[in-house]
Amino acid sequence: MAAKPAVRKPKKKSNPLKAAKITYIDYKDTTLLRKFISDRGKIRARRVTGVSVQEQRKIATAIKNAREMALLPYTSTGR
Amino acid sequence: MRHYEVMVILDPSLDERTVAPSLDTYLNVVRQDGGTVDNVDIWGKRRLAYEINKQSEGIYAVVDLTATPATVKELDRQLTLNESVMRTKVLRPEK
Repeated sequence: MAAKPAVRKPKKKSNPLKAAKITYIDYKDTTLLRKFISDRGKIRARRVTGVSVQEQRKIATAIKNAREMALLPYTSTGR
Repeated sequence: MRHYEVMVILDPSLDERTVAPSLDTYLNVVRQDGGTVDNVDIWGKRRLAYEINKQSEGIYAVVDLTATPATVKELDRQLTLNESVMRTKVLRPEK
């Protein structure tokens, strides 16, 4: 018989924005945006952050705007 | 008329007390063209995430204003002409 397909139920991530009751993602709010970048400065994937598609897109554009204004790094090679 | 948010990074060698009045002279462009300056927020000196023009610091200022697109474009143009302005950003915040 065919092996039972491995069904892995991914654990539902709690939405961190809903928890903090944030409705508008501001590029000036670096403390919030820093939660969505890795320690190397890369934008974290949605499967890691657990936000909705629409929110992830807004976060990404906010991070990119913040990078242009030197509020967030483009890259930070370790520490 | 639309609501805009303009962020500028100024040279850190400027005296922080002179920032507000000099920024205000630029904002006169908005007032003359019938726009309004809603709020001027000077953050003060702040470390940059990376170097701009060999500077590791900058004076940040955020201006909220309501004006026509042409006025904002002119304001942005005049700001970038000034050498003590390291970077500008014009955004239209949602809502």
